[in-house]
Amino acid sequence: MEKEMIAMLLAGGQGSRLYALTQKLAKPAVPFGGKYRIIDFPLSNCVNSGIDTVGVLTQYQPLELNEYIGNGQPWDLDRLYGGVHVLPPYQKAEGSDWYKGTANAIYQNISFIERYNPKYVIILSGDQICKQDYSDFLKFHKEKEAEFSVAVMEVPWEEAPRFGLMVTDENGRITEFQEKPKNPKSNLASMGIYIFNWDILKKYLIEDEADPNSENDFGNNIIPNLLKDERAMYAYPFSGYWKDVGTIPSLWEANMEVLDPEHSGINLFDEDWKIYSRNSGMPGHRICPGGEVFNSMITDGCRISGRVRHSILFAGVRVEEGAQVEDAVVMGKAIIKAGAVVEHCIVAENAIIGPGAVVGAMPSGDEDGVATIGPGVEIGPRAKVGPKAMIYKDVKEGEEQW
Amino acid sequence: MVNANANALGILFPNSYDTLVPELTAERLMASIPFAGRYRLVDFVLSGMMNAGIDNISLIVRKNYHSLMDHLGSGREWDLTRKNGGLNLVPPFSGKAVKVYNGKVEALANIVEFLKSQKEKYVVLSDTHIIGNLDFKKLINAHIESGADVTMAYQEAEIPEEWKDQALGSEMHYSLEIQDGRVEKILVNSKRPGLRNLSLNVYVMNRELLIEQVERAFVLGYVYLERDILAPNLDKLDVRAYRFDGYVVRIRGLRSYFDENMKLLDDENLDALFSGNRICTKIRDDNPTRYIKDARAENVLVADGCMIEGEVGNSILFRGVRIEKGAKVKNCILMQDTVVRANVEMEYVISDKNVTITEGQQIRGSASFPVYVAKAKVV
Repeated sequence: MEKEMIAMLLAGGQGSRLYALTQKLAKPAVPFGGKYRIIDFPLSNCVNSGIDTVGVLTQYQPLELNEYIGNGQPWDLDRLYGGVHVLPPYQKAEGSDWYKGTANAIYQNISFIERYNPKYVIILSGDQICKQDYSDFLKFHKEKEAEFSVAVMEVPWEEAPRFGLMVTDENGRITEFQEKPKNPKSNLASMGIYIFNWDILKKYLIEDEADPNSENDFGNNIIPNLLKDERAMYAYPFSGYWKDVGTIPSLWEANMEVLDPEHSGINLFDEDWKIYSRNSGMPGHRICPGGEVFNSMITDGCRISGRVRHSILFAGVRVEEGAQVEDAVVMGKAIIKAGAVVEHCIVAENAIIGPGAVVGAMPSGDEDGVATIGPGVEIGPRAKVGPKAMIYKDVKEGEEQW
Repeated sequence: MVNANANALGILFPNSYDTLVPELTAERLMASIPFAGRYRLVDFVLSGMMNAGIDNISLIVRKNYHSLMDHLGSGREWDLTRKNGGLNLVPPFSGKAVKVYNGKVEALANIVEFLKSQKEKYVVLSDTHIIGNLDFKKLINAHIESGADVTMAYQEAEIPEEWKDQALGSEMHYSLEIQDGRVEKILVNSKRPGLRNLSLNVYVMNRELLIEQVERAFVLGYVYLERDILAPNLDKLDVRAYRFDGYVVRIRGLRSYFDENMKLLDDENLDALFSGNRICTKIRDDNPTRYIKDARAENVLVADGCMIEGEVGNSILFRGVRIEKGAKVKNCILMQDTVVRANVEMEYVISDKNVTITEGQQIRGSASFPVYVAKAKVV
């Protein structure tokens, strides 16, 4: 039996620009939007698009990610034939190798893909927040009789040099690929989401692997090779919400955008396109007498006795009396003790902000950093953490860190 | 093969005591009454059993069980999708004698053949209108260590107000007279004041003994396990009492349903009910609750998926509730997907699932007489 299309999700990224958050956690497992993790978005998109077979390529700090994905049941991806499979690098008779690049990761799992004998393979990235119907993308790919398609977003011209750009003709056929060019000829940025005809992908993966000079990367090697051979390559324009959350400011910003779905376009309140996640199993949240919540998102298990403004609180967060939380992303089970002030920052899971401590600051003038407190870090009573600080280790009582 | 974790199977009676809250059981049964923001009553006993390693649980239903089937699904949320045992919903069996049972004896008579084919040595029986965070492992171990025939769990508490002027023929409740851990007497519908040993309607019995007693009682036309089997035979059977000192919720009527929910707005009570077993329930994949601009909320217990733009105080909101701009909600219990339109004012209201309160309405009940709005009604 063959599958029409299966997905391969690149989830091995270290996410080094998320610093403290990804010390012990793969980037796709980073919490997002109150009760989700980044990987919930591509997984939910898959199942909502009718894709029931997903290979998740992991490499960096996979423990928590593996446990989170489990048998795939929360995403309805526990299937008899197909479902979600975690694919770490493995040892083979002729030796073993880490995933050397994005293309090599897929190359090493050719036999996984062959088991399903798909016509098409969609390559997804595990570090983006995006609600996208991949079945629309596939329809486009088929209509164009493409061998390769890439989802692209129109970006402002002044920002175009930061992206990989697709130059197309009037039919959407790709004529040139520019990786972060000084002089962009296009403002269609690649989202790193590709559909390949499997026979084409397989051929190019094998050729690429045989090339000792290749970096085994889709953007740097596979796509240029396809272009060189004048394959049928098309750019699929996507206009919904899309955000690469690879940096602390962009992760913070995307969370803040969740609070304003009317303007940002990232609506998690969508019955027709639910984002699934593994449930915390905690009772509902409490806003206690004296607690105040404005313009925020709160989930199960939270207990709020202080004041919360324009913030996202994950499961089981406690905000004690007199504490103030504003413009903050506070991840699971973090505790903000009495009288602490937490502003314009990210507080990771299980962190403890001591009584009277100050973390981050609202932007003033050109100071607009997003302070970050790593998972499990304890900030002592009355300690102070500046708006640009990145905290990996406990901060003692009364100490200051900038 | 017997489960290594628990040599016991569970049997629940989801329809027992339905008549206590006719409003809430009009379209459901006791076990599936929503409680505490995101749960159904049955979640507590199921989670308790699951945590004790019991993975063979039968629910003998009588009627109105669609909501329960929908809630339980395959039993996955309680880890009860098992090859051996798992979740077993037993509807009334239509056949030579279509008989819908009244008491536990009749219910159990329906599944005697099933009980005979099981391997577990013990059976834990439970109703669903009394909930607590019970450690079933301790209960079963107490039963095994004492060598008793039957162990009945109880709490020490005052006889509830509602029982004092109870009419004859209404639902039966039991209090125990205990001597050195042995149940000396089972009082049915006792009205004696003061602290009493109130049965939690949770019993452990040896399976073989249960089968034997049920077969005998059924032939004699007996209906109730407690009144007809246990109470008259306390001299022959070794019936022990197991004291539970944890937090207990006892649904006795609509008012007590309201009060028992409201009591959870005290964090001490909430923590007491939710410490111990993790309570599992059906997952709905709601997004987090959103408090929009002018929303104000104080002293509330709120589940996921709500959108709050108005004011809400001293209330319990279940999943997916919407409170629009300018609405004022006080002392209310709003069940799943209740919609409160703009500028509504409501106080002391219990709204069932999918209720809509249209714009500008004013509804007021009182603490002693909360207003109940039935499922899917538009007010």
